[in-house]
Amino acid sequence: MKKMIVQTQALKKYYHTGNQTVKALDGVDFEVAEREFVSIIGKSGSGKSTLLHMIGGLDTPSSGTVVVDGVNLEALNSEQLALFRRRKVGFVFQQYNLIPDLNVYDNITFPLELDGAPIDRDFIQELLDTLQLSDKRDMLPAMLSGGEQQRVAIIRALATKPAIILADEPTGNLDVSTSHDVIGLLKILSRKYQQTLIVITHDSDIAQMADRIVQIEDGKILAKGSDCHVSE
Amino acid sequence: MLANNNQAIINKLAKNSVRTNKKQYAILFVTILLSALMLFCVFTIGMAYLDASRLQNTRLNGAEYDIATMNGFTSEQLHTLQQNDAVQSVGMESYAGSIKGSEFDDTVDVGLLWRDDVFWDTLMAPARTALKGHYPQHKNELMVTKALLKACGNENLSVGDRLTLTYENNTGIHTDDFVISGLWDGYGDTTVGFVSKAFYDETGYDLKNDGILCIKLNHNYVLPTTLQTIEKSLDFSDRQIFAPTSYIENSLKLLFGICGLALVICLSAYLLIYNILYLSVSGKIRYYGLLQSLGMTKKQLVRFITKQMLLIGVSGIAIGNLLGIVLCMTCVPYVLGVFGISTENTALQFNPLILMVSIVVTGLSILLGMRKPIQIATRVTPVEATKHRAAISKGKGYKKKKGAFFWRMAFDQLGKDKKKTLVVLLSLATSLSVFYCLTTIISSQGERTVLPNYWNADFVIQNQTQTTEDINSLQPAITDTFVKDIEGLDGIKDVHLVEGVPIVLPYVSDGFSEMWIRNYIDRTPYLSAEEVIADYRANPSAYYGMLIGIDDEQFEYVNQSLNHPVDKQDFLDGKICLVQYEGSEIPAEYLNQTVPFNFQGTSYEITVGAVSYDTQYSGRDIGASLIVSQAYLDSLTAAPTTLDMYIYYDKTYDEALEKKLTALVDNSPYSNDLYTESQYENMKTIQESQGNMMAIGTTIALLLLLVGVLNYANTIASSIQNRKRTFAVMEGIGMSRKQLQQLLMREGVLYAAFSVLMTLTIGTAITYACFQSMNYMAVPFKIPVLPLIGAMILVLLICTLTPVLSYKKLAGNRAIVERLRDYE
Repeated sequence: MKKMIVQTQALKKYYHTGNQTVKALDGVDFEVAEREFVSIIGKSGSGKSTLLHMIGGLDTPSSGTVVVDGVNLEALNSEQLALFRRRKVGFVFQQYNLIPDLNVYDNITFPLELDGAPIDRDFIQELLDTLQLSDKRDMLPAMLSGGEQQRVAIIRALATKPAIILADEPTGNLDVSTSHDVIGLLKILSRKYQQTLIVITHDSDIAQMADRIVQIEDGKILAKGSDCHVSE
Repeated sequence: MLANNNQAIINKLAKNSVRTNKKQYAILFVTILLSALMLFCVFTIGMAYLDASRLQNTRLNGAEYDIATMNGFTSEQLHTLQQNDAVQSVGMESYAGSIKGSEFDDTVDVGLLWRDDVFWDTLMAPARTALKGHYPQHKNELMVTKALLKACGNENLSVGDRLTLTYENNTGIHTDDFVISGLWDGYGDTTVGFVSKAFYDETGYDLKNDGILCIKLNHNYVLPTTLQTIEKSLDFSDRQIFAPTSYIENSLKLLFGICGLALVICLSAYLLIYNILYLSVSGKIRYYGLLQSLGMTKKQLVRFITKQMLLIGVSGIAIGNLLGIVLCMTCVPYVLGVFGISTENTALQFNPLILMVSIVVTGLSILLGMRKPIQIATRVTPVEATKHRAAISKGKGYKKKKGAFFWRMAFDQLGKDKKKTLVVLLSLATSLSVFYCLTTIISSQGERTVLPNYWNADFVIQNQTQTTEDINSLQPAITDTFVKDIEGLDGIKDVHLVEGVPIVLPYVSDGFSEMWIRNYIDRTPYLSAEEVIADYRANPSAYYGMLIGIDDEQFEYVNQSLNHPVDKQDFLDGKICLVQYEGSEIPAEYLNQTVPFNFQGTSYEITVGAVSYDTQYSGRDIGASLIVSQAYLDSLTAAPTTLDMYIYYDKTYDEALEKKLTALVDNSPYSNDLYTESQYENMKTIQESQGNMMAIGTTIALLLLLVGVLNYANTIASSIQNRKRTFAVMEGIGMSRKQLQQLLMREGVLYAAFSVLMTLTIGTAITYACFQSMNYMAVPFKIPVLPLIGAMILVLLICTLTPVLSYKKLAGNRAIVERLRDYE
């Protein structure tokens, strides 16, 4: 039996605006196995990003539990959550979310520096070489194209060797060709470093590249997709 | 082409934008409000400070005047002055003799003066605190003070009482009854009596030779050429003296100093507004890009931004000035009152001109400060605007720096937008420097205006039991017990005694004694030279002098003040003496003269080594006072009389010790003949003359520091607002709140450190220049260490806490994802 690295139970996230209650997540039970590549699809506002944020410890649920790699996130305080995000999770955002004041190399090593951890320079260089960014390491994000910025974000997500990579519409701002390159790279690298990959996407072609497709609508999971067929 | 009337929609958009983004515009609004408030308060309080400073000078001079002329004046010269447009009023004064004794005390020595109506009613009025009765009109009337009555031996007399006085003037020594026509109190010399014109006309003095003119000019600040022109117009003889006060002589330098400070204050207001406008506009570039992409032209965008700034600016200026009026007219006097500081003499007055200056400077700062940010907003294309991230340097490589991670990041942050950083540092350093400068000037106010006592003693007691003619009149008023009692008081560091004995200087034709007595006769015109010399020959003890012994330390002090210092060994061996003389220069022939003198029937000789014009030992006026070494004096007598005591405290201005000392003097049987001079009393007089000047000055300095610090707080709060996204990202990828706080605190520490560095270098140079421009007493420059360290600690605290608190307030309890979403 596969070890489940992500488990959510009766996960709810409600937003209250005036008299109205928006149910972003409404009792989601969701599991992801170790080293699995899952793509989450759904319409805008269906709750897919909220689910990803809950798993990544970026947001707190209204009720229900999120357990990641055996850790119940509800039990963590803000400091512990920061540590969790730094060590267990690698984020790739649609807006890249690179730190504009830091150059490519510093952006990548930022979470490691925060941890005071020794920097595996060879590993970073390997990633830079793989993603063809070696010659851009001293550049600021504003000096890079969208695709390049997203590749930097991927390296940053991988740099700490996290257990899970969470990618929230990583190709949303990229053209078709670059989008496929980026997802291809994410897939190859997560396989190579034995990481779990959860990707939110609108693009059905990209979704098809995953081991499993999960569909969300109105805060509920409609389909959990086919059985995992994780490459060994 | 027809003009498109889009004014209405731009107005509506501007109003709505301000209304719906209240939080964002609050910082800009508060900045403008603070600038207006600062300008109004600082200038209003500054004017009160200058008034207090002028009042202090008036009080120290005993009258309000800018120039004094001495040694007489002609009616033409008086007329010339009265016709001069630069002159406001001219008061006349003349020496009218001196009181030598009264029915209550035989040993009085106080002066008599006559002053005209202009002097008494106009020039002297600001220095007077109380007046009962009227200025003398008749020959036998006298205007007195309690201090004068005390010197005459009865301070219980009042207006209408009679007083018998023995007085000396150019016509001789007389004794008459006087009626006290008035009693006054105030500042200046309160131990002189004022006499009527009728009395003055019979004293033998005349205005042509003895008159003094005190001139008040129309303006408080004049060019040196104005003074030169006035002096030239008077065509003075060599004997006449034209003496402008130090204050008016240095008024132009002072004015430059004040204008410099005012400019710095205006500059700091400008920097404050510019900084916030810059941050406010650059933080909304994406929004302006959106407006442009929807079809708003650059011209319309300029109008839109201008309209927004005007809406905020007008309300900020109005409320800021209103608050300033309330603060200055009610709060500041109330707070000063609570702390027991009188605002009686330096009321803060509403000045419409200051209101106008405040409005104009703030308005101009907004208009000038707006130009650059508007340029940035309009220059960016809609596409660039949508990609814009505030304050990101572009186009050049970025090298990784060495150093600890958070310090490196903090350094990078400061270097990212060098211009903004420089403006923040400049405004912070400006405030700190203005505080530094004002504190230096205020703390040195006492020293710059008060001259120290002779030999810097804390307390001086002089034996004044001697009478003019009686060689045996000197009494042991300062006894050994009295000295021991004083030495035994807690807090006494040192006591120096000056001892002396009366000596007879026999008349020697063409010798020292003849020169000395002729000098005395010249100064006393009613005396006949032949008669005096004949009397001297017959009765030399009536013209007795004094032999005054001083110790090594005092000799060193006196010797360094001489034009031609003497040989110490010769002095100690009793070969040479110094002659004490309290007048203008005496002929060089006095020097190296051998002076014969008799003491207790034995004749001695000593050579005059030098003349000391500065010494203030109890001496004689008619006979010469010879200063010799203590050893020499001891060789002549085993029982000299103590003339003076110079007392030094462990702690200067020790109030408790001062009270004990005064009580000892008051309880002495010779209290009437013990003259005292106290540094503490002098300082108290100065403090009283200063009124609430120190408190007002400190208020300005603190206000400026506070505004500078608020400027920093505002700028940083605005900057943190612009960096919200970066912080959310940092937190998103694993930076803890604690780490973020560490980073922000380091940025604050760097701001504080650099601004302190700028203050200690450039600020010190500016402070030194300002200090010297007002330092007409040539006192040494001293850094006010404690207030400066206090201010620096305050700056450091605020610099480190502001970013942390700003971020805490900004982020609140919102989830990271919510904060990230704000920008998507």
